[in-house]
Amino acid sequence: MTQRVAIVGIGQTNHSGRRPYHNDGEVIYDAISAALADAQLSIKDIDNVIIGDMELFEGHSLNDAMLLDYTGAEGRSGFKMNTGGTVGSMNVISGWYNVASEFSDTTLVIGWEKHDEGPTTSAITTIWDPAINRPFEVGAISGLAMISNAYMTRSGCPLEVGAIVRAQASDNAARNPKAHLRERYTVQDVMSARMVLYPLNLLMICPTSLGACALVLAGEKKARKINKKPVWIRDHATAHQVTRGMDFMAEAGKIDTSMTVTGRKIFQRNHITKPMEEIQVFEMYDPCAFCQPAWLEEFGLCEAGQGWRLIEKGVTAREGSFPVSPSGGTLCTNAIGDTATVRVAEAALQLRGDAGEHQVTREVKMALASGYGGMYWTDLLLLSNTLD
Amino acid sequence: MKAKPQLELIYLDMTLKMPFKWNTGEPLGEFFRELKANEKIYANQCPTCGRNYCPPANICTRDHSRCNEKDKWVAVGPKGTLLTFFICEQSFLIPTTGEMLEVPFSVGLVMLDGAPVVLQHCLQETDVEKIKPGMRVEAVFKPKEERKGNIFDIIHFKTIKE
Repeated sequence: MTQRVAIVGIGQTNHSGRRPYHNDGEVIYDAISAALADAQLSIKDIDNVIIGDMELFEGHSLNDAMLLDYTGAEGRSGFKMNTGGTVGSMNVISGWYNVASEFSDTTLVIGWEKHDEGPTTSAITTIWDPAINRPFEVGAISGLAMISNAYMTRSGCPLEVGAIVRAQASDNAARNPKAHLRERYTVQDVMSARMVLYPLNLLMICPTSLGACALVLAGEKKARKINKKPVWIRDHATAHQVTRGMDFMAEAGKIDTSMTVTGRKIFQRNHITKPMEEIQVFEMYDPCAFCQPAWLEEFGLCEAGQGWRLIEKGVTAREGSFPVSPSGGTLCTNAIGDTATVRVAEAALQLRGDAGEHQVTREVKMALASGYGGMYWTDLLLLSNTLD
Repeated sequence: MKAKPQLELIYLDMTLKMPFKWNTGEPLGEFFRELKANEKIYANQCPTCGRNYCPPANICTRDHSRCNEKDKWVAVGPKGTLLTFFICEQSFLIPTTGEMLEVPFSVGLVMLDGAPVVLQHCLQETDVEKIKPGMRVEAVFKPKEERKGNIFDIIHFKTIKE
């Protein structure tokens, strides 16, 4: 009893820094309405609702119950997904399990965040072990700064590569009306931004955005009837990694990270031997400017030490041979609980050819989308526009 | 529906202030007792796969073996080598105290001498020009009467020349 699963409806709000006249539910409702309209369905056609939840970010718990009127989940099955930074992709993966098992025919998946309501970085600081790490961490930025520093030391990647990544992202985001930070920056602009956590300056870290993203998933029996351009979830993989004391860093560069594990699983299971040729675009959850170079290597897309060289050569640009985060990515838009859902949504738009001005120039048949968080946990999804 | 900007904006102010008592569990409690009583930093090793942990682990995260036998713990540090670091230049709210972070504030991951383990703690040095991965550092302890059996029994790691 299994069926293949497709994304048949995609909806996103515009992302911004503040939306003071609207509450959480009103933001979510906009994305759900857009996704249902895209699928030409009504909430009556949905049988299962999965909503992402980031504890403490908006100062309350049990979001699935509090927001029931807006999500339309009353009388339907479903649950909240609560895995930290990977919430946005884990809710898609959970939707996949529900539909693939034929438990549900049509599942609505919701990722959202409203960062203007509280001190996000402080809330994130509570993810760290209270006895060992918490006093020495500043939200998620501190861990990313240490990972970035270690990557630069290990690989010889210069600081300027982070600025190239951010300048490229800004050009992509300028083309994407749903993105939050849409100003274009040069490499020099990025290099001269105010320092927040060395080596990461203000432009090298993701913003705190608000917005929501909803997807409608359907089984293969229904998918083609609902949408002429279904996007298939071909495979997905998840890996966790211990972060107590950040002790995995003692073996950094020598052991498999959660990226390595998920990349290897996806490529092996799908007989992909040349991922940068067989896959045409990657919407990566890239919360700081050094994630792209480091994680291209860790996901197994290129050799160790080559990630930053590919970026210098323009390979990952929107018009490059392997575009990464052509939407502008997490560096320009980060409503955390919706960030990984947006990665899946944007990869799906690229596969449909519906990404508008930020559509990549190369023909897209297969795409990757990732989620990250936790800390150092990874979800990786492989999507395609055909079942061949 | 677009809100009219002249509308009065109504917010509900809300502050969460909730006390917790967090149990350390066995090996971490013993790690802190040793830090407080003897200025010793301990690490341990999984008997099955050999992975190293500081503070000592109860259960190996790699193979799920129990590895908390005190007689097999090894003292590590107080000297070590800096693996990576950050320097925080912008102040943020500390969720556990409600106070703002004093900046600049630098933190390093230190590979402690004696076992392939890292300990995360503050660095005394906050000047980026004077912090380099690979440099040698040493833990500075509080005087005995001020130690409480927590991670702050170590004040910071200072730069040393060898």
